[in-house]
Amino acid sequence: MHAALYVSKTGLAAQDKQLTTISNNLANASTVGFKRDRAIFEDLIYQNQRQPGAQETQETQLPSGLQLGTGTRVVATQKEFSQGTLQVTDQPLDVAINGRGFLQVLQPDGTISYTRNGQLQINGEGQLVNADGYLLEPAITVPQGVNKITISESGTVNGYTQGVVDPQQLGDITLADFVNPSGLQAVGGNLYVETLASGNPVQGTPGENGMGSLKQGMLEGSNVNIVEEMVSMITTQRAYEMNSKVIASADQMLQYISQNL
Amino acid sequence: MDKSLYIAMTGAKNNMLSQAIHANNMANVSTTGFRSDFEQARAMGVYYGEGYATRAYALTENPSSNFASGPMVQTGNDLDIAIQGDGFIAVRANDGTEGYTRAGNLEIDSAGTLRTANGLAVLGGDSPIVIPENEKIQIGADGTVSIVGLGQGPEAMTEVGRIKLVNPNTQNLTKSDDGLFRQRDGLNAEASAEVKLRSGFVENSNVNAIDEFTKIMALSRQYEMQVKMMKTADDNAVSSASLLRMS
Repeated sequence: MHAALYVSKTGLAAQDKQLTTISNNLANASTVGFKRDRAIFEDLIYQNQRQPGAQETQETQLPSGLQLGTGTRVVATQKEFSQGTLQVTDQPLDVAINGRGFLQVLQPDGTISYTRNGQLQINGEGQLVNADGYLLEPAITVPQGVNKITISESGTVNGYTQGVVDPQQLGDITLADFVNPSGLQAVGGNLYVETLASGNPVQGTPGENGMGSLKQGMLEGSNVNIVEEMVSMITTQRAYEMNSKVIASADQMLQYISQNL
Repeated sequence: MDKSLYIAMTGAKNNMLSQAIHANNMANVSTTGFRSDFEQARAMGVYYGEGYATRAYALTENPSSNFASGPMVQTGNDLDIAIQGDGFIAVRANDGTEGYTRAGNLEIDSAGTLRTANGLAVLGGDSPIVIPENEKIQIGADGTVSIVGLGQGPEAMTEVGRIKLVNPNTQNLTKSDDGLFRQRDGLNAEASAEVKLRSGFVENSNVNAIDEFTKIMALSRQYEMQVKMMKTADDNAVSSASLLRMS
């Protein structure tokens, strides 16, 4: 009917997705370990109505053709793994990763998922778990009687018992890293799972070979920048309005011709 | 019937095509690195015999894209690059040919290949750039990609490739169906040392929403005038038919 209608519709759909992404980022502005998403726009294919450079006659060529673009789409959302701000909480079981890497947690189905949220807790059996109760991997158990826990920058967990001078080594926290962290699939609950795009996890000791170091008593805040999200929200809203105006204008054209002829 | 009906019809039809081009610009108002397309109408005279030269049909075409720079948006990502001034990033298109883009929101895939956000490999010379595992990645102003390897200090920066940046004559560039720019003669452009990058920024679309919108409104009104002309041609035909009616 009128190509502009469908082209602007793709604009509306894409801006709509962008707004969803922004609102999710804003909703998670204070989620520990959250990484913001970025919607990536791409122009759709162009339709060649008349080929530029085609022969008009034997001697002359068309200097320019007619290519009609077919709109836009959100091709992907990309997780931005920039460092969030570190907050001091002074809780012994809070750990923040300063640099690259993910903590590993064992999901109930036996697979490993990855997280930057270091709000660890102890469950009824003395094991270190994340806020959802999933076991930390490799598993670390805190025995009865331990009244103080330290976690070193390289991941060593020590327990101190009342009246005993030497600490008891409870285990080591290891980190996993990926070639392309943006390719990880977010599954909610601050967790990510490995995909073909992310590559295989590489295990490592915190603080060595490019892994980030662990900071006990700190948490990594969300890396959402409120101001940035607000500004994108304004541009998204205006772009949406303008695309809908184009639809209104195309609609008026069609209305005009059907009423006047 | 009066031929003016057909002439007014081509005017209205080409107004709609122009409208579609502006609608596409408007839809891409937030597409990274997008270059808006120009649209123009040309008179196609179809004259024959003697008499008044009145048969000039309208023809819409898009002669070129607007190569003006778009606004720079700071993102702080190491893999985001924006070109300052003229120039393009060379990428390998899905059909294996070389294409040029201004969209510099790059990423690395699981094999370490540097790609644009829509998955096209960024070229360094003739082949894609592969980046080994690293702690830190830096893209220099001339497109040089350097990394700090795993477990090494910042003094051990190593160069892993240089993004092919080109600066062809924009008169020679045309937008292909996949949205990438290519040279009209089909040849690949030479790498240019003059193109300057800025990392941590992306360049937004250069669509000027107000400009586009003004043109959309102007085209809308022009379209209404064409329809009025068609209506007039119709009215004329009706009155001549009634005058000549034998009753």
